Amino acid sequence: MTGKDIVKITLNLVVIYVIGGLILALVYATASPVIFKNNEKAKQEALKQLMPDADAINKVGDWAPHEKHAEYFVAKKGDETLGYVVQSFGKGYSSYIDTLIAVDKDYTVRKINILHHAETPGLGDEIELDYFKDRLKGKDIDHLKVMKTETTEYVEAISGATISSRAVTEDAVKNGVNFLIKTVKEGGSGNVSEHHN
Amino acid sequence: MSQSTTINIKDQILNGIVKENTIFKLALSLCPSIAVTNNLKNGVLMGIAVLFVQVMVNITISLLRNVIQPKVRLPIFMLVISGWVTVTDMTMAATVPDVYKQMGLYIQLIVAFASILARAEMFASKNKFIPSMADGIGMGIGFLFALTVISFFRELLGKGSLWGMPIVHTKPVLMFILPAGGFFAVGILMAFFNWIDARYMKKSSHAAH
Repeated sequence: MTGKDIVKITLNLVVIYVIGGLILALVYATASPVIFKNNEKAKQEALKQLMPDADAINKVGDWAPHEKHAEYFVAKKGDETLGYVVQSFGKGYSSYIDTLIAVDKDYTVRKINILHHAETPGLGDEIELDYFKDRLKGKDIDHLKVMKTETTEYVEAISGATISSRAVTEDAVKNGVNFLIKTVKEGGSGNVSEHHN
Repeated sequence: MSQSTTINIKDQILNGIVKENTIFKLALSLCPSIAVTNNLKNGVLMGIAVLFVQVMVNITISLLRNVIQPKVRLPIFMLVISGWVTVTDMTMAATVPDVYKQMGLYIQLIVAFASILARAEMFASKNKFIPSMADGIGMGIGFLFALTVISFFRELLGKGSLWGMPIVHTKPVLMFILPAGGFFAVGILMAFFNWIDARYMKKSSHAAH
């Protein structure tokens, strides 16, 4: 290989990579604001779904379950506080399960929504399904406990996916509710807006 | 003249589906064929994503084949593949967020697919635009077909459902949706298709005599 060859090959590689980089930069610049807007919209919709009767769901502050960034919200209808929504994470079988939990004013679970996870498809991923999420409805902090037997008082585990069921119930949801009780109820005599971190 | 080109294109497409089927014949990209085929929906969506990227990569490589210096062809192939995957990924996230939510994970996985790099190296870098496109379509459809068949059986046997809808109400064989069952399913189907192939070849060679 002569010196001329080396220059030719280097130029070839550089030109093609620069062109490729420019194309990617162009696509990124066009797509990323739209992607950001889509994500924000999806988040608002997820919140709205959890608290359909609220007309405003406002962010109160941040917290860090499992050292991850999470937010919590207050749901209002006019001036009346309907309840709270908290984002929380649970350590599952093969991933951290990103969860949104809506609670009533008395801190019982109203509804939960699984935002993101990577649990075993066909087993652990049933935490996404309504039949399991409904099992947490109306439970207060003392009843957020997974049972392998049939139960309505506590939360019945998904058969074959006890670890994922536990991660959602006893980790994500319980911690989230616990956090709300500690910060909102005991911390600020009901006035949430004082709790910006 | 035009007659012969159409036949070539047809042959080229069929080649990818039957004679050089990525999974059943070339045994390439077996990792995704096991990882994402535990339900029919995942298998089909992954297959479609691969089909698209394979065609676009083949076209691009074929158009660039006279510009690329042979000594640095591999880094350039990788750039083309990862470039197309990224463009597809971002475009889908921006334009069809609902579909992207289902498919996003698989699209990013395609970067590491041996089958796509293999077709760029073995075919597209040596052939003209049209045959390369046909090869991409054939290979992509062949892959889609293989993933569909594998995931069809795995979901049916392992979960008793298809595309998430319950079909059989007996207790399913859970193993089939776990990785071990994936190896079994791929192995058995590969043997089946090779058996058919062997029989067919025998018959056609008899007919020739």
